[in-house]
Amino acid sequence: MLEPLLESGKKEKILLYIYTHGEAYASEIANNFKFYINTVQNQLLNLEKGGVLYSKLKGKVRLFGINPRYAFKKELEALLEKTLKFISEEEKKKHYRPRLRPRRTGKPL
Amino acid sequence: MKKNRSLKKLAVIISDHLFKNGINAVLSGGACVTLYTQNKYISYDLDFVLLSHMDSKKIKKVMREIGFRQEGKYFKHEGTPYFVDFLSPPLSVGEEPVKEISEIKEGKKTLRLLSPTDCVKDRLAAFYHWNDKQSLEQAVLVCNNQQVDLTEVQRWSRNEGMSQKYEVFKDDLK
Repeated sequence: MLEPLLESGKKEKILLYIYTHGEAYASEIANNFKFYINTVQNQLLNLEKGGVLYSKLKGKVRLFGINPRYAFKKELEALLEKTLKFISEEEKKKHYRPRLRPRRTGKPL
Repeated sequence: MKKNRSLKKLAVIISDHLFKNGINAVLSGGACVTLYTQNKYISYDLDFVLLSHMDSKKIKKVMREIGFRQEGKYFKHEGTPYFVDFLSPPLSVGEEPVKEISEIKEGKKTLRLLSPTDCVKDRLAAFYHWNDKQSLEQAVLVCNNQQVDLTEVQRWSRNEGMSQKYEVFKDDLK
């Protein structure tokens, strides 16, 4: 949906994934969409360079999130929120509805 | 380039050289705190925000003319401990664009940088959004060393939805 604007369907999915998950790391996104890890990493680094995303190290993992200091954060989030409305329930369930509540260690499900 | 050159002198040389070569960039971040507090806070990081998109090859070429080489994301010079980074436009503090750019003159050269008031907003943005206490301390330091328009900082904080955290900053100013 945002492909004409973002010039990449992958970038749209990456941004939507981060928006709905709060923070995410490259291999998590790549596995979720079955994208090449290098493609995801390049998109993430370009978005970070442009000030759209921030990144931080947590242990050995580099997490990316939408930069709260990005001048167009509010507008970008409104655009992503509207995009979600045009996505099928099935796709939303599959990619954009994360479990946010904690899961106790050792719990089988 | 002299090894012990101060951050101020170095920032002036870089800013002036960039401008003369058609690269419009404004110093922001911790380096402004260093300059506005007479080195009470030391930054080795010179963040220049570009005012318009610029070809990275051109930046590389212009920086090389004054002895800086790109190492990963940053530019470094053998003779100094400082490193230079170029940030993408727009020049903003939080949601708002920066409208006024300050200048510091050194002889015939000019450094373009955030005003003390925008520098305080820039540091407070880090405190507001990341809860970074070091940035809060830096904002207070700038206020104690420069004339800062606190009415404007309060208006901006309200617009950022951070009126409560502005009160924390105000308490630290006392």
